[in-house]
Amino acid sequence: MCFRRSSVWIGVAKMVPARQKSVARTPNSVVQRKSKIKSYRQSYQSMTAASRLCLTRALTSLWLNTSRTAPKSDNILDKVDPRQLASLMKTEWQLSYVTPLYQFRYTQLKSYSRQLSAFMAAEKEQVEDGATQNFKVSFSVVHGLVETDYDAETILIQIYSKSFFAGQNEHQKPVWKGWLACVNGNRDYINSLPKEFISLPLFGSSGTEALTALVKSWFQKNFDCCFGSLEINHISLQWLVALWTNYHAESNIKQLQMIWTLPVQPLLQVSYAVNPVDAWELWCSVKGDQPELVDLSAGSLSSVSTALGSAKCRGQIKISNSKCMTTTLTLLTECALLKMPI
Amino acid sequence: MEDQMKSLLRQLVRRIPIRFLKVTLEKWGRLTVAQQQNIDFTQTKWALADELIAYSEENRLTLRHITELEMIYVIDNPNQGMWHAFQLVDPESDAPAVELMQFKEQFKSHLNELVRNVSVKMKKNTDEAVWIRIAWGDSCSRPNNMRPTYVVHYLQTPYVFVTRLTSKQKTLLSQAMIIATRHQAIKDAHLSGRNFSAIRDLLMQEYEQVFPAKYPSALVERNQIAALPNIEREQAEAEVNRLQMACEAFGGGKLPQLQSVVYKLETKFKDPSNQTFTEREKPFNCVVTFTSKNLLESLRHCASSGIASTPITPLLSSIPRRGRNYFVITDKVSGPSSQINPTV
Repeated sequence: MCFRRSSVWIGVAKMVPARQKSVARTPNSVVQRKSKIKSYRQSYQSMTAASRLCLTRALTSLWLNTSRTAPKSDNILDKVDPRQLASLMKTEWQLSYVTPLYQFRYTQLKSYSRQLSAFMAAEKEQVEDGATQNFKVSFSVVHGLVETDYDAETILIQIYSKSFFAGQNEHQKPVWKGWLACVNGNRDYINSLPKEFISLPLFGSSGTEALTALVKSWFQKNFDCCFGSLEINHISLQWLVALWTNYHAESNIKQLQMIWTLPVQPLLQVSYAVNPVDAWELWCSVKGDQPELVDLSAGSLSSVSTALGSAKCRGQIKISNSKCMTTTLTLLTECALLKMPI
Repeated sequence: MEDQMKSLLRQLVRRIPIRFLKVTLEKWGRLTVAQQQNIDFTQTKWALADELIAYSEENRLTLRHITELEMIYVIDNPNQGMWHAFQLVDPESDAPAVELMQFKEQFKSHLNELVRNVSVKMKKNTDEAVWIRIAWGDSCSRPNNMRPTYVVHYLQTPYVFVTRLTSKQKTLLSQAMIIATRHQAIKDAHLSGRNFSAIRDLLMQEYEQVFPAKYPSALVERNQIAALPNIEREQAEAEVNRLQMACEAFGGGKLPQLQSVVYKLETKFKDPSNQTFTEREKPFNCVVTFTSKNLLESLRHCASSGIASTPITPLLSSIPRRGRNYFVITDKVSGPSSQINPTV
């Protein structure tokens, strides 16, 4: 059952995208939409109408748009403020997808900070019989965390608890953090959106669920968007394994760990911890093979981790090295776009 | 000494959950009935410790009394920290004759010869187990009672279970143990876990074992939830067969709650579709860990449901058969098929 390492590995390793040709092209004619609600419904999935019936086809054709096989080596530290980057790293984020935001303005961030603070104060009062915990919200732009001209800049939201020690906010740890991002988003899709919409399909949050729910509901009310849970399926998890292993030459992955869950009573977890050099050499030896997915038959891959980052099937992601930030977010942006309702 | 007593008592009060504290103190029996009734279990643990320290001083209790309290708690709640199993080998002719008093005396005197500052306390439990608490010191420091080692040995059996032991202390303990039990050596049983009774039951094979039988009727009756007339006989037979094999390998009924097994793989990578890597000389290093609330029951279900193929691979059936949960797997050096073979 479990010592078929080779097949497991083929599962992982053969995920290398091959040079396939059949991309489902979208007709450029954008359908006239009558209302803004309808407009965001023209989702990413409908762009690939030809392959809608077959998920695997859709996946492979979408992945063609990215450069994951040869990640760009340009240094993210040159583009993004290291302090902002640090606040995105080494935190485990719970992921969600977000439909395009209607009339979201980058020039209004200060006002959004105030509005969300006020909204939270009001909502909290309703829920907790006027418990006097006040919050201070800060919206900021993480400049440079984009790959193309079409990507909208990443938004970072931090919520601080308003304590007696006001004025020390710079050193204060936020009680909740979250961000909205779009890295290497599908160009055709973004272009097809009406002007008033901004696509930031990937939402990550870290903090209590109650606060996450408040932030989500504020966004829904103000920008007419909706959120949905973003699980990372086993194919994407295997992709992440491949991505991170590929960085081993530059930055030690220390150990590659993959956890499978088997549906027996009681639940059985099987974890593989692979020597980093062996993992990398195996990865190199299979690069360029034809894709052919083989599953660890009865179980499902539930978690993968290396020193560069970790991911779980329920949609948690942690990035611990800035080098693989862009590629990881690219993959997740695609997952988010795919997950959006039609 | 006074300070050590106070800090140990404070540590104990912090460690023991309130719901166990009352029972443990009653079992200990070093407080008067009036004192016990006076204790307010709703106050903070810090205040509770202050109260107990005051009573202990009043009753002129010493450090030894406090270690006694700790032993009572640990014996009743052994599932804390990692337990490692060891096995005594090569018994001398008089080994079966070793009784408690002799063992106690021999063990203490030999350990005292090896380490000058060591404090040993023994207690025989109702189930014949001897519980040994060792507080280690060295030539220039007094025994550290805050981090003692616990050893459990069943007299007249080769089994020894240990928790909180450093490698340096391991050598000392092994020596004292083999002399006191009249054996020639002690070896690592490659079995460890947090659940003490699980590793004990597994190693001492104290669970329901199922043996090959021509008519596995009892087993079938008990495990078949409902007779399904629509299932073809053939399929039902295969299922019964799988269940029988699963139970033969892992045992029937409730199984010891072992929570993990580790396989350290140092085998060559084999995959017909990846020639480059299969031809690699070096082994592929990988550690595979199975975890579950009850690993043996999970594996039994894997086998009976067909997720693991039957007959069950020796890699899995070795866990109960050999009573271990750590394996290093290497390729057989000789033989054309280079089979995977569990070795020490």
